[in-house]
Amino acid sequence: MDKGLLAYLLIPLLSAVVIPFAARNRPKLADLLANVTLLAGLVNLLWLALRPSVIAGGFADIPGDGFSLLLVSAVYLVGLCVTFFSAWFLDEKLPNRQAYYSLILVSVAAMTGVVTTTDFFTLYVFIEVLAVTSFALITTDDSGAGLEGALKYFFLTFPASALIIAGISVLMLSLGSLSFDALRVFMASDIPSGPVTFGAALIMLGFIIKAGVVPFHTWTPDAYQGAYAPVSAHLAGIVTKISGVYAIIKLATLLRFFDGRAQALSGILMFLGMLSIAVGALAALKQTDFKRMLAFSSISQVGYIVLAAGLGTPLAVMGAIFHLFNHATFKTVLFLNSASLEKSAGTTDMEKLGGMEHSMPWTSWTSVVALLSTAGVPPLSGFWSKLLIILALWEAGLKTYAVLALLFSIVTLAYFMMMQKKVFFGRKSQAAESSPEVSAPLLAPAVLMSAVIVALGLLFPYFYTYVKMVAERIIL
Amino acid sequence: MIYHALLFAAAVVFAMWAVMARRLLTSAIMLALVSVTVSLIFFNLGAPWAGVFELSVCAGLITVLFVGAVSLIRHEDEKHPESRARFYALPLALAAFAIAAWFYLPEFFDALAGWRRMASGGGTIGLALWDLRRPDLLGQVLMLAAGVFVIKSVFPRRTEK
Repeated sequence: MDKGLLAYLLIPLLSAVVIPFAARNRPKLADLLANVTLLAGLVNLLWLALRPSVIAGGFADIPGDGFSLLLVSAVYLVGLCVTFFSAWFLDEKLPNRQAYYSLILVSVAAMTGVVTTTDFFTLYVFIEVLAVTSFALITTDDSGAGLEGALKYFFLTFPASALIIAGISVLMLSLGSLSFDALRVFMASDIPSGPVTFGAALIMLGFIIKAGVVPFHTWTPDAYQGAYAPVSAHLAGIVTKISGVYAIIKLATLLRFFDGRAQALSGILMFLGMLSIAVGALAALKQTDFKRMLAFSSISQVGYIVLAAGLGTPLAVMGAIFHLFNHATFKTVLFLNSASLEKSAGTTDMEKLGGMEHSMPWTSWTSVVALLSTAGVPPLSGFWSKLLIILALWEAGLKTYAVLALLFSIVTLAYFMMMQKKVFFGRKSQAAESSPEVSAPLLAPAVLMSAVIVALGLLFPYFYTYVKMVAERIIL
Repeated sequence: MIYHALLFAAAVVFAMWAVMARRLLTSAIMLALVSVTVSLIFFNLGAPWAGVFELSVCAGLITVLFVGAVSLIRHEDEKHPESRARFYALPLALAAFAIAAWFYLPEFFDALAGWRRMASGGGTIGLALWDLRRPDLLGQVLMLAAGVFVIKSVFPRRTEK
C-alpha cells in the first residue's frame, strides 16, 4: 500500500465514526464535518500536486506512481461536490442524515484504499466495502425505484465479486503471490503465461461487470435512475469508475498489453470497449428520462476508457487515465444538474420539461459545458482525452476502431444536443413556468466542476506532462 | 483419498439438496451441512484455520441467522408455495458438468500444481494469506464500519414508517 497517501484513507474513516456521536442532536453538524474533512483533504492534495516548485520540476517530485494521487484527488473532488450539494439538498426530516454522511465518507475512504493498494486481495476487500456502502446509499430516499436499483446493483455485481475472488485464487496458485509487482515482473519475463493470464482474465471479467461494460451493463441505468439524486452523481461520477474502470486500467498495464503478452485478452477488451461505446450511444439516443440517458452515456464513455486500456500502449494509457478523470468531472456536473432539475421541476422526464433555460440559466449553461466536453468539442478537456485515445488507435494500426470511436463521438454530440433542446432550450413549458433556479449553494458544485473542465482543457500542456509522467511510471 | 472423495461427494449432494428442498428450513440446514463438509475438507488439506472459520462462521453463525429469519417468515412461506419445476434441471446440469470435468479438470489441476511448485519460492499459501497481510485488515475495519452505518441508515427509516 502507498503509505504516503494512507492519511487520506484514515481521516475520512475517523470523521465517519465521529459524525454519529458529534451530530446526534445537531444534524447540521454532520454536513459541516463531512464537508470540512473532504475540503481539507482536497486542499492538501492540491498542495502536493500543484505547488509551483512541483509544476516547474515537471511533476518529478510527485510521490508513488502519480496515478494514485490523481485518482485520490478525483475521489475527494467529486466527494466534496456531492456532500456540499447534499447539505442543501437533503430533506430536513431525513431520519438518517448522520449515517448518510458517514456512508459517503466510508466510501471515499474505501476508494482511496482501492487506488493506493498494491495487492489483489486488499483491492478485493476495499471493492466489497464500496459495494456495501453503495447499496445503502442508493436506497437513501426509500423509494421503490431506489430499492429496485439497489437490488439489481447488488445481485448483478455479486457474481463479479465471485469471479474476482476465483481469479485471485488461480493467481495465488500459479504465481505464488498476490502483489501487483509480482505480476508485473512475471509478465516482463519470458515464461509462458498460461494459468496466470487465466486468473487475471477472471479478475478482469469481474471488473468489467462492475464497470458496467456492455454486455454486463443492465444494472447501470436502473441503479443510476433509481438512486437518490446526489447519490447518482457520486455513483456515476466516481464510484463505478474506481470500483471497475480503474482496476481494468491497472490490470491492463500489469499484463503488459503493449508488448503483445496476453494478446487475446487485449483483443477481447478492445472489442467490448467498442461495443460499449456503440450500444451506450445508440441507447442514449432513445431515452426519454434525463438520468437514464446520462446512465447510457456513462456506459458509452466508459467504453472509450476500456478500449484505450485494452490497447495498452503508453499513449492509449495516457488517454484512458485522462478520460477517466474527465469523465468524473463532466458526469458529476450532469448528474448534479439532473438532481437540481428534480428538486426544482419535480421530474427528470424530458417530455415534460422544456425551455428550462429561461428559469434555470446556470443549470442550463453548466450542462452545455459538460455535454460539449463529453462529446469531445475543443478546447474542453474531453476533446484532448478523446484525441489521445483516437491517435493511439490510429498509431497502432487499428484504423477501424479509430474511425468508429470518432463517429460515435458525433453520436454523443447528437444525443446531448437533443437533450439540451428538449430540456433547456425551446419554448417555455408548464414545468419551466413554475420552477425557479435552485439556490446558489446547490449551483456551486456544478459551477466549480465546469470551471475544472474548462481549466483542464485550456491548461492541457501542464496536465499532459502530468499524465505522461504517470503513464511512464506505471508502464515501465 | 477415499475419505476425501466421499467428503467432496457429500458436499455436492448437500449443496444440491439445499437448492432443491421445498422448505426453507431444510435449505438452511443443508447449507450448514455443506459448510461442515467443506470445513472437514479444509482440516484434511492441512488448513485448520480455514476449517475453524468455516465451521464457526458459516456452519454456526450464519445458520443461526438463517434459521431465525426462516422462523419469522415461516407462516407466509407456507401460504405461498413456490414452483420448483425449474430446479429439476439442476441434477442434469450437474451430471453434464461432472462428465466434462472428468475429462478436462484433472489436466487443468495438474498444470496448476506444476505452476504451484514453480511459485513455491514465495512461501506457503497460509503464510501469504495470514502473515503477509496488513493493509487488508484496514479494509476489514472499513467493512465493519460500513456494516454499522448501513444498519444505522436503513433501520431508522423502516421504524419511522
